[in-house]
Amino acid sequence: MFAALLAQPTWAREESSEQNYFQEFPVVLSASRLSQPQSEAPNAMTVIDRKMIEASGFRNIADLFKLVPGMYVSYYKGNQPVVSYHGATDQYARRMQVMIDGRSVYLPPVSMVDWTNLPITIDDIERIEVIRGPAAASHGANSLQGVISIITKDASQMNGKSVSMRRGTHGINDVSAHFGEQGETFDYRMTVAYNADNGYNNLTTMPNNIPPVGGAQLMLNNSYDSNQARMVNFRTNYRPNGVDSFDVQMGFNHDTQVAGWKDSFGNPVHDVIANAGFMQLDWNRVLNASSELRLRYYHVKQSQGEDFVLATGHRVVQSNNTDRDEIEVQHTLQTGEGNRLVYGAGWRRDAISADGYSLAMTALFALPASYASSFASDEYRIFAHDEWRISPQLLLNTGAMFEIDRMGHQRLSPRVAMNYHLAPTQTIRMGASVAYRTPAVIEENYQTIPQPGLLFVPSQTVTSPGLIPEKVLSREIGYLGEFHDLEATLDVRLFVDEITKGILISPATGMFTNSVSSLYRGVETTLKYSLDERKDLIFNFSHQSASSDVTPIGTLSRSIPKNSASLLYSQRLSHNWSFNASYYYQDMVQPYDRGPIDFQPSQRRADIRLGRKFALGKGTEGEAALIVQNLFDEQYTEYVANNAFNRRSYLTLTLDW
Amino acid sequence: MRLFLRYSEALLLCLLVLLPLTSRAEGLTVTLLLSDSSTPYQAFLDTLSLRLPASIKLIVQNPVRNENRATGADDLVVAVGMKAAEAAISTSLRSPVLAVMVPKAGYDSLFLGQSAPYGISAIYLDQPWERQVDFLYAVMPDVERVGLLYSPETRLEVAPLLNSVANHGGSVVAQSVQSTDRLFASLEKVLSGSDVLLAIPDSRIYSAASIRNILLTSYRHEVPLIGLSQGYVNAGALAAIFTLPEQIAEQTARQIVAFDKKRALPTPSYPENFSVALNTQVARSLEIRLPSEDEIRKRMRKAGEEGR
Repeated sequence: MFAALLAQPTWAREESSEQNYFQEFPVVLSASRLSQPQSEAPNAMTVIDRKMIEASGFRNIADLFKLVPGMYVSYYKGNQPVVSYHGATDQYARRMQVMIDGRSVYLPPVSMVDWTNLPITIDDIERIEVIRGPAAASHGANSLQGVISIITKDASQMNGKSVSMRRGTHGINDVSAHFGEQGETFDYRMTVAYNADNGYNNLTTMPNNIPPVGGAQLMLNNSYDSNQARMVNFRTNYRPNGVDSFDVQMGFNHDTQVAGWKDSFGNPVHDVIANAGFMQLDWNRVLNASSELRLRYYHVKQSQGEDFVLATGHRVVQSNNTDRDEIEVQHTLQTGEGNRLVYGAGWRRDAISADGYSLAMTALFALPASYASSFASDEYRIFAHDEWRISPQLLLNTGAMFEIDRMGHQRLSPRVAMNYHLAPTQTIRMGASVAYRTPAVIEENYQTIPQPGLLFVPSQTVTSPGLIPEKVLSREIGYLGEFHDLEATLDVRLFVDEITKGILISPATGMFTNSVSSLYRGVETTLKYSLDERKDLIFNFSHQSASSDVTPIGTLSRSIPKNSASLLYSQRLSHNWSFNASYYYQDMVQPYDRGPIDFQPSQRRADIRLGRKFALGKGTEGEAALIVQNLFDEQYTEYVANNAFNRRSYLTLTLDW
Repeated sequence: MRLFLRYSEALLLCLLVLLPLTSRAEGLTVTLLLSDSSTPYQAFLDTLSLRLPASIKLIVQNPVRNENRATGADDLVVAVGMKAAEAAISTSLRSPVLAVMVPKAGYDSLFLGQSAPYGISAIYLDQPWERQVDFLYAVMPDVERVGLLYSPETRLEVAPLLNSVANHGGSVVAQSVQSTDRLFASLEKVLSGSDVLLAIPDSRIYSAASIRNILLTSYRHEVPLIGLSQGYVNAGALAAIFTLPEQIAEQTARQIVAFDKKRALPTPSYPENFSVALNTQVARSLEIRLPSEDEIRKRMRKAGEEGR
């Protein structure tokens, strides 16, 4: 290998110059780029990296959160995932902030995430950091229970071209192309993709031993939930000099989701067209090795529309539009060897407009045929977070965010956490934080008139007056241990989260009120273990319970899977072959906004992935993989009993050159 | 060929002109050739002037500006950097030449195989591989695979590196970079099989333009970079071992004083002293427990003693 190195006459003066030792370099790994190690973070955090993403075999981004202890992933429809922390609260799971590269995709009017309409593919993701617990001080508002922070690949991370396709049962049909180039001052990458599937199978037998009587048998042959998403995204980074870096991203997703039920009068089977686009600019300036300024601006535009005909022959047309603009400036400062400070300010404007038209409204309810509403609101925040290394053993994280939310409420969300290293590899963390969630537009302005279809057209007037932000007080004790001899790490967390002024709809009045207090407590643990150089294991377990004053008593506690676990095993069989197996377990759940028919019995599911890498020469490489989900076909149902998950399998083929 | 002619001319001149001048009474005259006037050379000059006894006369010349410098007989020519070293041999070999702050590979390419009647020697700028590897293992004792990128232009003696790493129980994972636009692929390859990436002096690979992608990619792979200077560490390398111009200047001053007494140059040598730079922020983020500089030096001394 080194023969050439040694044998050549050594006359290349330039390469033997002392200038190689005196080169000036820009600061690359600046304070804001360096992530806090888990043993020093103020919150419990689960990182889902590229390796885990690949090993899991998942093709839906939402499914990845099955690998986070305490997280609940389910589906209202095959094209409408529900991702929540601490159980199956409701279909919209509003209590977590979700961000892609710092851009909030938790959108009004419903304050939810449309997971199938995100303008990125699972292959664009570099890693996902899931903060278990509120983190308003570092991640802004509405992180009541936690934060999902998706970090996509840098512009420089795609140097070459790649195409991949996926074909399988349930109409799974995905194709994507990724390409990009890495340069000295300029990089770019681009993704063009199409993802499609048919959702859940139509049921031909009743699930969960439900007797086929009454209306229940309407569940049969009533699964209409296919999805077709077309997307494109582009990211570029330009560095005119050693201190400035401009990162520009844009993307678009056009998604056709089939919604509705064949037995529903107001919401028959029809298409919902969802469009989501964004552009984002991040300007980073390194002021010096210990000080860095970042300015971020983004615009997100999302629209959803539906157009269908009711059984009475009346046409219904509804749509909603959201525009979000946000500017944030942040200064990261290494104030000393043991102290790092991040502070900044942000402004966000949301503009929402929604409208509907149907003569059915007049014919059936004697109401105007058209209805519409529009809102514009501003939010302001300032934040600071300080990381102070008091001694080599003791680290203190303190932070707070002060916000004026869209309703004008002023709230301070503080956080304090202390990490104590019992030994260099053993850490105890104790923390407490407070966070708020501003009511969604749809909660404050819930439409009281009967409304057809899937989409919401909020009322222009406030229908739930006096609604205020709900509040969480979260306390936790964590332990993080590394065991080098065993090649293992253990992460354990005990938590108590107290939500007060919780928002819930009152079935009697149809109004949302701050009527709920609830208490969540539990233990979450992650064990990572390398059996040897070729075999890795990740095991997650969560035990949790909840109590609240929601009647009937037990409603909330039944909506939480008492125990849940996941296991991800990876093995390199040879240079080319790899094998992954995963297992997911979840205790029974009664989602609290669903009837008893949608009771979810306990789930057990095993997935496998077998991959083979190959080289075609001339720098072309590839991988073929077979993924089987629910290998043993242990049929279980998701959030809605129609959604019986049976065995799925698909093949993927990727070529890189 | 041209060199040979110049050399014979020089030799002839020496024989004819310089013989009568060998006996002398006054103090030593040292001609200092600086490759340029940028900071490292200035720092060298400042320290050297400070450390030389007053009896030694120092004449500073810039070889770039004085292409046709006077070819008078100097007692000793100290050439700082490769450009100066080249100028020293191309204009005159009538005086002993001490090339300092030159990489060993550069010095070898310039002087190896040349006979110089008045003596040539060097104080290299780079660290001997043993020291470099001892340093690496003092910083990260658990390293098994040391990643190395090299290009067709790389000029290094690698056998001592392989031996040193093997002595510590590790192995070297080397990956060639055929061209600049293949850097990304080579980097991905070497990083996926290494615990640490060891930078080498090759500007085809490590340059101000490429360092960003190298550091970001290695950080993503959680593979730290061991650099060649404080600059590398400022940019985001985990650690570096290097010798400062000031340290070379001190060693040079000692050799000049010795030369004044013995009228002979020692054999070329590596720098005696070195500096260490550590990036504690990067270490923390990568969850690497960095030893203190004292501990690193202690471990290196111990490794050095055991190795011999």
